[in-house]
Amino acid sequence: MNVGYLCTYTPKELIDAAGFTPIRIFAGDAQISLATAHIQSYACSQARGSFERALRGELDVQAVVFTRCCDTLMRLADIWERNTEMKVYNLEFPTRVEEKSKEFYFNELKDFVKVLEEWGGEVTLESLKESFSLYYELEEKLKKLFSIKPDYDTAKKVQEMNVRDAIKLVDERLREAEGEDKKPRVLITGSVCPFVEVYKLFEDAGFALKDDICTGTRFFTFNTPPRDIGSVDEGLRFLVEKYFDKAPCPTKHFPKDDRFNYVLELAKDCDGVVFLLLKFCEPHFYDYPQLKERLEEMGKKVLLLELEFPIASYEQLRTRIEAFYEVIA
Amino acid sequence: MITAGIDIGSLTAKCALMRDGELIAYKVIKVSPNLEETARKVFQETLKAAGIKEEEVEKIIATGYGRNKVGFADKRVTEISCHAKGALYFIPTTRTVVDIGGQDSKVIAIENGKVAEFVMNDKCAAGTGRFLEVMAAALNLKVEELGEVAEKAKRATKISSTCTVFAESEVISHLASGEKVEDIVAGIHEAIASRIAAMARRVKIEPDIVLTGGVAKNRAMKKALEKEFGMEIKTPPEPQIVGAVGAALFA
Repeated sequence: MNVGYLCTYTPKELIDAAGFTPIRIFAGDAQISLATAHIQSYACSQARGSFERALRGELDVQAVVFTRCCDTLMRLADIWERNTEMKVYNLEFPTRVEEKSKEFYFNELKDFVKVLEEWGGEVTLESLKESFSLYYELEEKLKKLFSIKPDYDTAKKVQEMNVRDAIKLVDERLREAEGEDKKPRVLITGSVCPFVEVYKLFEDAGFALKDDICTGTRFFTFNTPPRDIGSVDEGLRFLVEKYFDKAPCPTKHFPKDDRFNYVLELAKDCDGVVFLLLKFCEPHFYDYPQLKERLEEMGKKVLLLELEFPIASYEQLRTRIEAFYEVIA
Repeated sequence: MITAGIDIGSLTAKCALMRDGELIAYKVIKVSPNLEETARKVFQETLKAAGIKEEEVEKIIATGYGRNKVGFADKRVTEISCHAKGALYFIPTTRTVVDIGGQDSKVIAIENGKVAEFVMNDKCAAGTGRFLEVMAAALNLKVEELGEVAEKAKRATKISSTCTVFAESEVISHLASGEKVEDIVAGIHEAIASRIAAMARRVKIEPDIVLTGGVAKNRAMKKALEKEFGMEIKTPPEPQIVGAVGAALFA
């Protein structure tokens, strides 16, 4: 069985350990039509576009896990449950990511294991160990690949396949990957962008890329290597730590302002920062004015690009990106 | 050295010929669907006007949304950089460029003679020349007449809709309720000015503000923008060719 998910805070390891394949759901190329009967037009096109694909029967998933992130995706869970044949589960990831909420999330994961079992899966100590080690391998290899040269086509593909095949694909790409000469570097920050053509526009303009995108490095930037575990519960505690210390996203609150610090650190060796924001994405847009100010204080040039899926005109984006290159270079 | 700047916009194509950084000739023609051909045509016409042979031109720089379709150009530069450079050529004290083109509008902030920041609207006809064209058609006027008509107005009728299509119905309903045509036209200019100002506020607006693009020829538009910004606005002698001049200077 394939289990769909939308948010990078979803513990894919558990789904894999239960014997299912976690598959990331992205918006597609088709105009959003069927979904408009169920979702208002001021919800982001990632939510509407993903649901559109479900209604069109384009998704080979039999269940979907919604992990608490933004309000839109949480409410999408209810709409999805009512209007598709898929099984739907809400996983409550704490909004405040801090010591106090660890126990809560541990219990959430225990409940999720039970749900996976109800769906016909089985999480054992052995299967959990294997999944932990596989995902760690994938994440480290993607980090390596991106350190040579970011590869958004591969990053997108691995999120839509079984982790075992994903590792093979990244291995293949690693054999061919070549670094590039020194170029002005741009940090692309924002929510999701599964349309790899957009990154190509930046490369065409002459930029070297770095990203803080949910479908890019935030998918694989974790900081907790697997350790020896003696029970499933210990494994769940490991997952709590791993996901509490991943690349942070603006739908979460951190006592020490981890999100801003993370972006500012990434921007240090970049010549400019582009906010690639999805229209109506509240979590990212609320951060934008303050984050922009902080980046400008660091002397970085900043550009805001607002997207809507499917992307109607690449040429308009191209002009802005080329002009931004001319401003920097 | 003679250089040429070719600006292929959405509605018009412009070419400027410069000798050692001085403008010697220019032409503005309508764009046909074949952009390469349009570029050739405007280039040839400008050469003819200047009495210069093609071989004498050392560098050709293309800009505008059709820049990538000008195969014979030596280099391509975006209209953002070209408008800034062109505005500085005509008015060296330029700090903010407001360009209202046929199908897009942009605001460019200049610091130390370079582009510091820019915003663009090209998703929607509001705040572009297209908005004026639609309204002129609804009022049975020529777009060139709008400025003159607006200057006769005693007051400006409020146009609340941002969307061009809705604003058109609003204009028609104002006509039906007996509002004077000149007041409605004045209201249309205010609506565009407020839309442009809303976009401009996303960058730092510093004087001098320079208005470029075909719409800059319309005096009522300039006045409405001055009211909205609370500052005097300057216009170059030929606002339509600012991008082409800037391109020629990038050689």
